[in-house]
Amino acid sequence: MSGVKLEKIVKAYGRLEVVHGIDLEVKEKEFVVLVGPSGCGKSTTLRMIAGLEEISAGDISIDGRVVNRVAPKDRDVAMVFQNYALYPHLSVFENIAFGLRIRKESKGHIEKTVKEASDILGLTPYLDRKPAELSGGQRQRVAMGRAIVRRPKVFLFDEPLSNLDAKLRTQMRAEIKQLHRRLGATSVYVTHDQVEAMTLADRIVVMNDGNIEQIGSPMELFMNPANTFVAGFIGSPPMNQLQGNIEKVSSGLQVRINDTVIDLPNNTNVEDGQSVVLGIRPEHISLSNNEGTSAMSISLNLVETLGSEALLHAKFGEQDMIVKAETNGQIDHLSEISTVYAPTDLVKVFDAKSGLVLSEPFSQGSNT
Amino acid sequence: MSSGQDEKPESGVTEYDSKKSFKDKLIWLGDHFRNEWQLYVMLAPTIIWFLVFLYKPMYGLQIAFKDYSIFRGVAASPWVGWEHFHTLFSNDQFIRAFWNTIKISALNLLFGFPAPILLALMFNEILHVTYKRVAQTIVYLPHFISTVIIAGIVTTAFSPTAGVVNTIMGWFGLDSIYFLTRPEWFRPIFVGTGIWQEAGFGSIVFLAAIAGVNPSLYESAVVDGASRWQMMWKITLPCILPTIIIMLIIRIGNIMEVSFEMIILLYQPATYITADVVNTWVYRQGLESGQYDIAAAAGLFNAVVAFVLVMVANTLSRRYVRTSLW
Repeated sequence: MSGVKLEKIVKAYGRLEVVHGIDLEVKEKEFVVLVGPSGCGKSTTLRMIAGLEEISAGDISIDGRVVNRVAPKDRDVAMVFQNYALYPHLSVFENIAFGLRIRKESKGHIEKTVKEASDILGLTPYLDRKPAELSGGQRQRVAMGRAIVRRPKVFLFDEPLSNLDAKLRTQMRAEIKQLHRRLGATSVYVTHDQVEAMTLADRIVVMNDGNIEQIGSPMELFMNPANTFVAGFIGSPPMNQLQGNIEKVSSGLQVRINDTVIDLPNNTNVEDGQSVVLGIRPEHISLSNNEGTSAMSISLNLVETLGSEALLHAKFGEQDMIVKAETNGQIDHLSEISTVYAPTDLVKVFDAKSGLVLSEPFSQGSNT
Repeated sequence: MSSGQDEKPESGVTEYDSKKSFKDKLIWLGDHFRNEWQLYVMLAPTIIWFLVFLYKPMYGLQIAFKDYSIFRGVAASPWVGWEHFHTLFSNDQFIRAFWNTIKISALNLLFGFPAPILLALMFNEILHVTYKRVAQTIVYLPHFISTVIIAGIVTTAFSPTAGVVNTIMGWFGLDSIYFLTRPEWFRPIFVGTGIWQEAGFGSIVFLAAIAGVNPSLYESAVVDGASRWQMMWKITLPCILPTIIIMLIIRIGNIMEVSFEMIILLYQPATYITADVVNTWVYRQGLESGQYDIAAAAGLFNAVVAFVLVMVANTLSRRYVRTSLW
């Protein structure tokens, strides 16, 4: 298995540039997820790695070899498509064997390889069926089976779970993760679902408008977003972003939002009076007044019950915010909450103009 | 990995419709009509056309079993049973016309049916958009030319004196041939003309079917290493197979309806031996000789043969390839 390297990759359609010189290195056996909103260039990037789109500038290397002008079939990659791309007239067996037959592998090898893949994917009882006779999850497994049997250097996944319902998506997500552990394959996975990205990735690449906003492990991105875009994209619900101004007082740094002041860590790189965005994760907000917290008066609009947790939709002054609270089996007390507490150590501060983070990063894995 | 056995396969088939009684179906139709009357209004012209031009004339079919006289009318003409059919099957000219119809249709099916499919596959491989559009327009054009003009072009092209075909043959030292008076040349010329006139326009249906093939099937095949030739054989053709079969069934249904006008315009007594088909024979008997009852019997026989053929084709297709017209 081998790595993938993207250097200054640009993709333009005529005068319209959609990917603006991105750099990315996917290490051997790594599972990297490209995530971002629709139109951010993540699928285009994946298709450039596959060779389905020509690159306008830059270099793509697979296993140390520049493949800019190498045909898709010679790049030794396998791709799983969003809509499965199964041949409707072929049985499950023939679909999985398609790539092997094209490469004129021996009959015995094809049968052995397809059997191994179908055992791994739980498809053995369905080998004679046509794709139309399978459920969405089974079809997705067939698509993965087709990729597995090729034993490629790199697996590419283009939003493979987006056509499945929520329950099946959760199940398939776990199966993909297990499959990756079992095969140890270098994988590049595209999704717009940040939950998928968080659960599957060794590293996440957050893309926006043809640029890479941040690359890091799921927890790095969750705890140390580089800017307000990443802060708003990673996490469910996303990080609360409240507009305020810095005040330097004798006791340290504070941010004033309306009439409320919230304490900041002293190592925040800000200036007095600076306009900032205060980022607070909904799950970091406390309902009790612990040490090292700042009180915030809120007016509650809605309580969304999720079972073990509840989302409190509230107004903080004129700004919207969400608080995630544990229910402990009861929700009546939640509707009476009027004050919540922001933990000084866990808040993030971003520059209001550039959106870039001003806080020092947390050490990885701390306070989680 | 999960076996996935707890997941239910998707299926568009429900047993609900088949369990509904006739009364339930009528009630459903009434409700549907009230809710979707706009659709029925749009359907009305087609239904009226069928009623006026196809169903109402069926009343006249009874003259195939009557000693019909235009003075007595259809109702008052006496019944003669199968007499006209006995006459038909003992008529050498009708038997010849029947076999000519079968032979010309078989040639049309053999060469004329694959031609638009091949054209569509070829158009699909053209990557240059402008060239593709120009080529398509050129091959569509003959369809829009009147049959009379086409027959004129063919007659001129195969003329023994100034025809382009004989001129080219002359360049190679070959003797001039008066093609349209030679029975052995009639069928190739007729079938070739039909392909030239209709293959381009007929390819539109198959191009539309090709356009409906999921592009990611090709992308997946490209990543797997398939060549364009392999993609055509392993993806395009199998994916448009249902369309091909539907078109084949329709074609078989029309097998007895060879291009009657074109034959009338191209044939002559010298080529009757290979060119005279049931419809031209019916035309001569019915309109030129005034034997409407015998002509009606021949027409009815023609229709019954076509009906049987289309039923058999549809049943075989449904049984063996799971695609059918109904």
